[in-house]
Amino acid sequence: MSETLTLVAIGIFQTIAIIAFAPLLMGIMRKVKARTQKRLGASVLQPYYDLLKLLKKDEVVSDQSSWIFRAAPWVMLVATATAALFVPIFLPFSPFGTAGDILVMLGLFGLARFFIMLAGLDVASAFGGLGTSREMMISALVEPALFLTIFVVSLTLGGTNLSSIVAASAGQFVSGVLIVPSMLFALIAFFVVMLAESGRIPFDNPATHLELTMVHEAMVLEYSGKSLAMIQWSQSIKQAILLALFVNLFIPAGMASSIVGIDTAATSVVSFIAKVLLLSMLVAFIETRTAKWRLFRLPDLLAMAIASSMIGVLFFYL
Amino acid sequence: MGRMGEKVKSCLVNSNEVHMLLADKSNIPEACSYLQDELASKLCSLISSDERQTSGAFVLRYVFEVHGKEDVFIAVTARTKESAENQLPSVPSIVKKFPLAVFYEREIRDMFGIIADGNPDARPLVLHEHWSAGVYPLRKDFDIKTKVSRDTGKEYPFIKVEGEGICEIPVGPVHAGIIEPGHFRFSVLGENIINLETRLFYTHKGVEKLAETMKLDQALLLSERISGDESVANSLAYCQALEKIAHTSVPKRALQIRCICAEMERIYNHLGTLAGISTDVGFSYGSARLNILKERMMQLNSVISGSRLLFGVNRIGGVGIDLDAEKLAMIINTTQIVQEDFEKIISMLRTKSSVVDRLRNTGIISKKVAYDLGLVGVVARAAGLDVDTRRDHPYAAYPTVSVDTHHDTPQNLMEYKVNLEKRKGDALGRFELRVEEVIDSIRMIDELISDLYDDNILTTDTLRLEPYGYALGYAESHRGQTIHWVMVGQDCDSLFRYKIRTASFVNWPGIEQAVLSDIVPDFPIVNKSLDLSYSGNDL
Repeated sequence: MSETLTLVAIGIFQTIAIIAFAPLLMGIMRKVKARTQKRLGASVLQPYYDLLKLLKKDEVVSDQSSWIFRAAPWVMLVATATAALFVPIFLPFSPFGTAGDILVMLGLFGLARFFIMLAGLDVASAFGGLGTSREMMISALVEPALFLTIFVVSLTLGGTNLSSIVAASAGQFVSGVLIVPSMLFALIAFFVVMLAESGRIPFDNPATHLELTMVHEAMVLEYSGKSLAMIQWSQSIKQAILLALFVNLFIPAGMASSIVGIDTAATSVVSFIAKVLLLSMLVAFIETRTAKWRLFRLPDLLAMAIASSMIGVLFFYL
Repeated sequence: MGRMGEKVKSCLVNSNEVHMLLADKSNIPEACSYLQDELASKLCSLISSDERQTSGAFVLRYVFEVHGKEDVFIAVTARTKESAENQLPSVPSIVKKFPLAVFYEREIRDMFGIIADGNPDARPLVLHEHWSAGVYPLRKDFDIKTKVSRDTGKEYPFIKVEGEGICEIPVGPVHAGIIEPGHFRFSVLGENIINLETRLFYTHKGVEKLAETMKLDQALLLSERISGDESVANSLAYCQALEKIAHTSVPKRALQIRCICAEMERIYNHLGTLAGISTDVGFSYGSARLNILKERMMQLNSVISGSRLLFGVNRIGGVGIDLDAEKLAMIINTTQIVQEDFEKIISMLRTKSSVVDRLRNTGIISKKVAYDLGLVGVVARAAGLDVDTRRDHPYAAYPTVSVDTHHDTPQNLMEYKVNLEKRKGDALGRFELRVEEVIDSIRMIDELISDLYDDNILTTDTLRLEPYGYALGYAESHRGQTIHWVMVGQDCDSLFRYKIRTASFVNWPGIEQAVLSDIVPDFPIVNKSLDLSYSGNDL
């Protein structure tokens, strides 16, 4: 009984940690981006200041909008926070794993996106519609790539339950090196999908002020105050989940294969933080080194991701 | 003047300007067509002035610039007046032959109430809906202090594109970021732009009317502020117009300093535009690096002229700043450092396939469109037109330096002509051309400094102006040709009429054509690569 309680406590702690530190990760990425662009950049805590500022502000809501506009940020925050429950973060284990697997997690992301797209259309502003149509185009292509990647991962590691696949990953690659070719191709696909899902360059420019080029930002252009804070926060949680999933699935080095003691758990925590930081720096660095792609060339990149995960499937059966 | 013989009442030559006064305004279209077809000249401004007090009529001057061989401007001059009480004066429209005239004619209709018969676009251009009908602000009987009552209930009729799946996207007039207002009405089919209509003049400042209340030296300060980043070019055009009226000869050193400052203005603005292009393609590393260089140049501006935007350089009859040996060394030193860094950054940008891909084939302006709309500057050159005021109508010290090396030898010229024919007029072309011009400008500054005369910086002659004397002043800003028409008042110390035609006014219509083969998210790149000024347009 006490063991179950400990596990639940660990699970809740993991979830709270990812929700609480997600904006920090965003801040670190922005800082890296600024430094690589020869700028000083804002403090890494700036996303928290932004959230606090937005929480204090009043909201302006278009009189053309319906309940969907008001509900969407809540749906988005709740869906992403719930998804955080199922993801093993520091330990190869999430006590809520039985309640939801990786497919439920993707479904929750889909739900959040669906509501934000509806909200973009709901306010009847030209930019909202523009952003929504682009998001639909991109997500229609991201999803097959994502599902194929998950398919490869599930085949290789056995199952769709996140706890078991992360544990299998940690157990299988004790050396911490990817030795299965199918996983290597899944990694390439997942990396592209991760950039697309979190709306980063070359898919979307999170720093732009040009309404006409925006994708995600165009949909949420009408939001202000608390609603905007919720959207920004869920956006950073989603990004943190994707980064965590990436390192835990593909770079399990340092991850404990089971909960055995305090010292291995500590190693897991430290190595996880190091890996996520390195990965987020890599993403920020890529953002510095490439321009945003032409909108109609993005399908090429996503097609590459789909092809790569298809090759992963082939390698599995070969 | 050949077959136009009997229709021209008189001809007047003033330096490099030829003024043909037509016997009757009905001959305007014929005279203009004649100039374009037979003399290979192109319309570069349409100036109206209210001379009812002095000669009893409105005078319209259709200014043509002769292309290629000679440095000549030809102005077709015609008069028009109210034929009856309460009836607006009119002239025949020349839109059929000159598509670009549509904007000039609409402007004149708004500001003077002169109707161009046959202009298909009767919508107002400069004055927006709230302006009361029948109030013409540039007429002499309109007092500058008049408070015009606000008219409500009118709506501007945008061009409607209708059809299955076509949506309208209104953008602006208030934009994100720190830029001036302008409204863009897109008609799109999915992401493809079917039509774009721009609506400008939201911050119309009344510069031309304001100038009429000013002394000559006050108006010089005004001319610098037409568009802050073109301060040298605009004030240069203004000063040159007055110097031409007075036949003043400006000391050689002053002319050279004018050129040095004009080129420094070109450098920092081109750097800024290139940085902007880099931002708009989402490549912030390039823009961060280029903005550092722009800042270096602006700090240099501040040291040599006391103003980051080079205000206060030009004076009527010379310049207001002198460059001592220390400052000259500083200019050479800074431009050298900038050039070294600039070349590194540009070669880095050229190797980024994601950057080049965004620019290539984006915002294409064909040679035909550029010619028909009379586009100027980098935009026209990128489309394959060989225009550059610095070379076509040499002013200041430009005759002594080689503006571009393409025209030095016959072989270079041939190669350049072939190169011009190959140009596509896309954003990449404009990008490359700006890069080339930055390097050229630095070279010109070097040439000018190594050959700097030891002379006065201000003429010692007094300005001998005659009442109602007029002349054209022109300069090539970083955006292109800017033409100022100055007519001094009766007291010889004020302005009777100051017509400013900046490069932005001519180039803005180009954007509506440039986006037609593009998708909506590429619009900001097209816009930035054309480098248009709102302030320079909303006079």
